[in-house]
Formats: sequence, C-alpha cells, structure tokens
Amino acid sequence: KRRRTEVVDIEDRLESLITRVGEKSTSSLESNLEGLASVLEADLPNYKVKIMRILCQCVVSMPEKLTVYTTLVGLLNAKNYTCGGEFVEMLVRNLKESLKTGQWEEARMMVRFLSDLVNCHVLVAASVLQMFDNFIEVTLEDNIPQVRSDVYVYMVLSSLPWVGRELFEKKEAELNKLLDTVDSYISKRQKIHMPALRVWNVDEPHPQEEYLDCMWAQIRNLRNSKWLEKQILRPYLAFDSVLCDALQHTLPQIIPPSHNEEMVYPIPRVIFRLFDYTDVPEDTVLPGSHAIERYLIEEQIDRIIHTNHFERKDCAAALLSYPVKNKLPLNYMVVEVMFSQLFQLPCAPYLELFYGSTLIELCKLQPSSMPQVLAQASEMLFERIDHMHTICIERFVNWFSYHLSNFQLRWSWEDWSEVTSMDSEAPKAKFVREVLLKCLRLSYHQRIVESVPESFAAFLPIKPAPQYKYEQEGAGSLPGTTAAHALMNAIKSKCTPDEAAQLLRDLPNKFPNGDENDNPSYHPLKIDVFVSTLLYLGSKSFSHSFAAMAKFYPNLKSLTETEEAQIYLLKTIYNTWSTHQQRMVVLVDKLLRTEVVQCQAVANWIFSEQMQRDFTSMYVWEILHGTIKKMTKHVDQLQSEVDEARDKLDAAKRKEADGMEIFSDEEVPTEEMIERMEEKLETATSQQKNLFLIIFQRFIIVLTEHLARCESAGIDYNTTWYKWHHQLVFRYINTLESLLFTSDIDIHILEVFQQFCALRS
Amino acid sequence: SRTEQERALLKSTTLYVGNLSFYTSEEQIHELFSRAGDVKRIVMGLDKVKKTPCGFCFMEYYTRADAENAMRYINGTRLDDRIVRTDWDAGFKEGRQFGRG
Repeated sequence: KRRRTEVVDIEDRLESLITRVGEKSTSSLESNLEGLASVLEADLPNYKVKIMRILCQCVVSMPEKLTVYTTLVGLLNAKNYTCGGEFVEMLVRNLKESLKTGQWEEARMMVRFLSDLVNCHVLVAASVLQMFDNFIEVTLEDNIPQVRSDVYVYMVLSSLPWVGRELFEKKEAELNKLLDTVDSYISKRQKIHMPALRVWNVDEPHPQEEYLDCMWAQIRNLRNSKWLEKQILRPYLAFDSVLCDALQHTLPQIIPPSHNEEMVYPIPRVIFRLFDYTDVPEDTVLPGSHAIERYLIEEQIDRIIHTNHFERKDCAAALLSYPVKNKLPLNYMVVEVMFSQLFQLPCAPYLELFYGSTLIELCKLQPSSMPQVLAQASEMLFERIDHMHTICIERFVNWFSYHLSNFQLRWSWEDWSEVTSMDSEAPKAKFVREVLLKCLRLSYHQRIVESVPESFAAFLPIKPAPQYKYEQEGAGSLPGTTAAHALMNAIKSKCTPDEAAQLLRDLPNKFPNGDENDNPSYHPLKIDVFVSTLLYLGSKSFSHSFAAMAKFYPNLKSLTETEEAQIYLLKTIYNTWSTHQQRMVVLVDKLLRTEVVQCQAVANWIFSEQMQRDFTSMYVWEILHGTIKKMTKHVDQLQSEVDEARDKLDAAKRKEADGMEIFSDEEVPTEEMIERMEEKLETATSQQKNLFLIIFQRFIIVLTEHLARCESAGIDYNTTWYKWHHQLVFRYINTLESLLFTSDIDIHILEVFQQFCALRS
Repeated sequence: SRTEQERALLKSTTLYVGNLSFYTSEEQIHELFSRAGDVKRIVMGLDKVKKTPCGFCFMEYYTRADAENAMRYINGTRLDDRIVRTDWDAGFKEGRQFGRG
C-alpha cells in the first residue's frame, strides 16, 4: 500500500512540475526547462506513459505555452530518441481521434504543436508538409460543405506562423505549391453568409472581413516578410546547439477522415474591427489588420478569455498581464476582442453579463486608462451605430446601460445632443432612448431625470404607473365600472376566487367601451374588469402582482380558455402597464410559465394592431425571445425525459436478459409510460413548429406590406424601420421549416433565409 | 446538521443578496439578476417592525447554472451605487425574510 501512495505522490509531483513550467519564476525559462528535462529523463524508465499523457494534455489545455512544451519535447527527444518517437505517436493518435469526433479546436492546437516540433528537431519538415498537403487536399473533395474544407485550411494556415520559416528554408518549392492551392481555394469560396455575420454593414472605416480571407491576407503578409514575425516566444532557439544534433522522426500519414452527415464543423466568422493605429496613443503602435501580430495577439486574448471566463477577476488580471512585446496598446486590443465576442453573431460565446462585469474589473485594475479606452470605444460604437446590426445594437444598449449603472450613471450626454434633432426612429436616437429605459430599470425615475441634460427631456422614459380606467374620469359611463368597484372591495376584504367569479357573472359580452362583442369564444368585458382590477391592486411590486395572480389563478384560467381570450388578456395587461415595460416582460413570463397563456397567443398579440406602435421597441422583442426560449426549453426538457426513460427501460431489459434481478425501487418506466411521454413531446413539438410558423408568416406579411407601400409611394424600401425588422428575422430562422419559403415570397425576405442557410453549407 | 446544510448549499438555486440600499426595489434587483438567468422568485428582506425593505433579499433561480452565473458575475458589482454581496443560501423558508429592525 505504501508503494502505491508513493507512486501517486510522484505522479502528482510530475504533473505539477510539467504543468507549471513557463509560469513566472525567479530563474530563467531556459534553466527551468533544462532542469525539468533532466528530471523527466530520470523518471522516464518508470513513468514514461504518465509523463507523455501529461504532455499531451498540456498541448490542448495550455496552447498559450505551446513553444515551452515543444522545447521540452525537443530536449527529451535529444536525450531519448525512442521517447520522442513514442510521444509523437501518442499525439498523432489523439489528433486522429479529434478529427474523427469533430474536436476542431483541440485538433488545431495539436497540428500547430506538431508543426512547431519541426523547429525543435523532433520532426522532419517534409513530413509536416505532407500532413498539410493531405489537409489542403480536402478542398478538392466533391459534394462537401464548405465549412469542412474551411476548417482544414484554417488548421494549416494558423500553424504557418510557427513553422513557415523552416518550410520556406527547407522546402520552398513545395510550400509555394501548397500556398497556390490555398490561394485558388480562397478565391473560389462562397460568402453568402457574410451579411448575416457582419456587425457593420459597411466597410468604412474598416473592412469587415471573412475570417479565412483575413487569415489568408495575414499569411500572405508574413510570407512577404520572409516568414519572420516578432510575437512568438521561441525558447528552443537558446538550445539550438543541443537540439541540432538530435535525430528527427517522420510523421506517419494523417489522412482527414471522410465527411459524413453527422459531422458538425465550426461556423464561419467575420472579423470585428473597431480600432486602427490612429485611435491609439501616439507612443504605441497597433499592428495593422493584416499584420500577423494582430492575429497572434488576438488569438491569445481569446484564449485567456476562454480559460478564465468563469472568474471575471482572474480574467481581467490575466488579460492585463499578458506579456506583449514592443509598444503594443494592449488595453485597446483587449477592449476590441471583448467587444468582438460580445457582438459575435449569431450569439456571443459567453453570457453577455460576463463581458459587462469583466469590463468593470478591467476598469478597476487600470483606473488611469481603461475607463478612457472604454469611453472612446463607446463613442466610436455610437458614431457608427447607423451601420450596426440590429442585434448588436440591442447588446450595445444592454451593456452600456449596465456599465453606466455601475459608474453612477455618469456620461457626457452633451456630446450626443445631435440626437435631440433627429427622427425618433433614427438608430442613434433609438439607442439613447433604449439606454435610458434600461438605466431606468436598474435605477429609478428621478435619478434618470437628474442624470441627463434638460435638452434630452424628450428621450426620458415616462414615469411608470398603472392605468386603471375604472377610477379615471368618465368611468361612470363604462359598462364594467360597477362590477370593477365591487370586485375591488371584495378583493380588498380577502374574498375567495369563487366569490370574485360571482361578481363578474352577469356582465354582458361587450367590449369595455360598450361595443358589442359578437365572438362568443371570449368575454372581453369580464377579462378587462377582472384583470385590470387585479393588476391595479397588485401594482405595488412584482411580488404583489404575482401573489394576486396566484390567488386568483382559477379565475384567470377560466376566463382565458381560448386563444382569443388569451390575446385579450395580454391586451388588458398592455392597457394597464404600457408605461412599465419591465413589468410587461415579467408578467408575460409568469403567464407563460403558469400556462395561463400559450406561446402562440403571445406571438399573435405581438403582431397585433395594438402593438404596432411599440413594434420597434426592444422590450417587445425581449418578450418574443423569452417566449421562443421557453417553448424551446420545454421541448428540450420533454425530449430529455423521453430519452432518459428509454435508456432506463433498455438497461433494465438488458439486465433481465442477463438474468439479473430487477429491484422494485429502481423505478423502471413501462412502455405505456414512455408512449404517453412521447405523445406529450409530439404535442409540444407541433406547438413549437406552429409558433415559428406564426412568427414567420406575420413577419413576412409585415415586411411585404412595407415593401409594397414603399413601391407604390416610390420611396426606398431600405429605411431604418425595414433594417430593424429585416435583421431581427435572422435570429429566428434557426428553427424554421423551409416549407414557409416558397418562390412567391419577396426576394428580400428570401435573401435572409439563404444567408442563414449558407452558414452551415 | 452541518453536512446536510453543506449538501443543500451545493445543490441550491437560491442566493442570499446583501448590502442593498433600503430604497432599492424588487424591480431593480430583478433587472440586474435576470441578466444572469431566469429568475424564479425574489423575497425581499423586511424590517420586522415596519415591514419595509431592509437591505437584503433571497433570489431564487429556476436552475443551478443560472444561480452560479449570478454568483460569478454579480457578486461584488454595483446596484444603486452599492456593492452587492451574494452568498449561497440553502433555500428560503417563510419567516426568514424578517430582518433586524
């Protein structure tokens, strides 16, 4: 037993030594590497496999220290040739597995690692070039999605900064041939997906490039500078005399596994640019967008964010302590990468709140410069907002309001006073109005009034307050007033749901204004009297509203059995709380979760005439997204329940076949139970499909009407209003059935759909 | 017991939120915390005697993952100019909303 603990102790020690090499230390990296190589050499006879496994793990989990580990492998190979060979074999096995299972990012890091092993005299240059050739050959395959050839080309290109120079010196002709193939591939690629992924829809002041185009331009620049770059740390150079004597291995053939339908490839990106060299302080130099250094540093920043995104404080600290060479404006590059992730389409890699709270930490760590950089960035984003993707404007609003609320709502609004003379639908004006609405949610009305100049009065949100018609002037002539007052008194003296229902019993089937309702499927007056009174009495806080709704849940349910009734309920909520957007959002959420209203009713209400005037307000879309999200979660939940039950039953059947006893406490579901669950799932799936159909049909109607209106009036269809809607559609196409898109649909709408499809083609 | 308590904390979807201003409303808290995930319920801490907010609340999420995001990204940031503190809570029980007067 003692022997085993010793083994574990030694293995732990090895792991700690290996994973920590390259961290800040009192002695030089070179002497640390030399020492570690000697330690490992001594332990190789007993712990070879363990050591190699740890090293393979480091390749994928710490790519920021890639060259540290290639050097270490180089030193080990120089001491022990067999060990070097076995390590390469293990890494190649891992790489093949990653390619087979679609672990693209890990595969890319392994490819880069293998490439850098050429520099450490572990691998023969020609054999790495052979691997590259095999990868680039994927571009010649027929009938494959473009994203497949893209990922292989990207793996090769993003390894070239490491190994390009060696290949150029040793195999120039072959390298040139490879690059020619890449060049012809790049020039032939389809880029229909571009407009859907661009944060900016113009190329001024910075072109928005597709990621492979940008990478290719950077590589061409690197090639023009004879493959010399200044950013990569190359510890192996110090060991040249030791390494150059080592024997090299030949990489075995690595053939990309062939394409199959299940394989998922990474979706393309568009490179986000905010700053150029004119935006940064004079004593610093921002590498141009086609400089390889820009790519290398941005990739590292991305990497730091990925590693630390669970700990915002560590993340901020790691970002600011990244060791850039020369006079690079690190804080600008960090801010640009943070925003590029926040605005990434179709969705940001991490929670939006992560970016907000990490930017706050960055300001705390560097109070003398970071707040200014962020202010400058905000200024520039605002300046360019006319050309910003609608979804990104929303994210900008959410971030900016959050940021302001963390910094006492201080902002130099005067600089933006141009908005006061703009059309209210103009993106800049809309942005300011939405920011103030979001600030209001995080603060309170008086505070917002005090924090903006008087000239912004028209942009201030209305002070939220409930509208209750039965206590307003003219209530006496309304058909519901008597019942409403009686109901109010009854609820205040704690009546039961039944007693409340009794008070509504004799109301005529009319609209609240006295008009007759000839649709017997719902009762607008009853709904209006009951719901508006309940909301008015529960107006003090969300909790008061929820408590009222919970107590009178049976009444709500019985008044809203049909979709028409549910839509009318939503209208009543709007009439009561149109000045309190957040309340609307929260109430609709509650009604959906308690199944008082169905998702379809919400969608139809949002496209109804009543909501037309709020149609471009962000909160309306917040409600619609929330609705879709809940529907999707519901379907996913039911699906996983079915899967789980199926698995349990199958496992039990296997056990039974093996002759094992089934214990009654294992709760094995029966076939009938699973069938019932599947029926539920089927219903939910068809509801979901229906929801999307409604949203798309209504969208298409709205957009087609707009296009027709513009055509007959002879004006340009591409107004801000059109842009707003056109881009919002994009978000939903995700789950759309193509049946909706027949050829008689307007070309502009069809375009959006095609752009989206192109993402995965 | 203590281990039960610890186990409950590891599975909890509820946070104790402290250091709020007495004037901070449930709505403001909702707006901030809904940025971390779907909020299920907020129970405002009330002064035992006056029944007015007294600087804390319980925040319940539908899922553990959302509550974890709130711990990660909201703890230590500001709401109404005050630094919000969040801690795991074993779950709200009636009566616990009443703080010291």
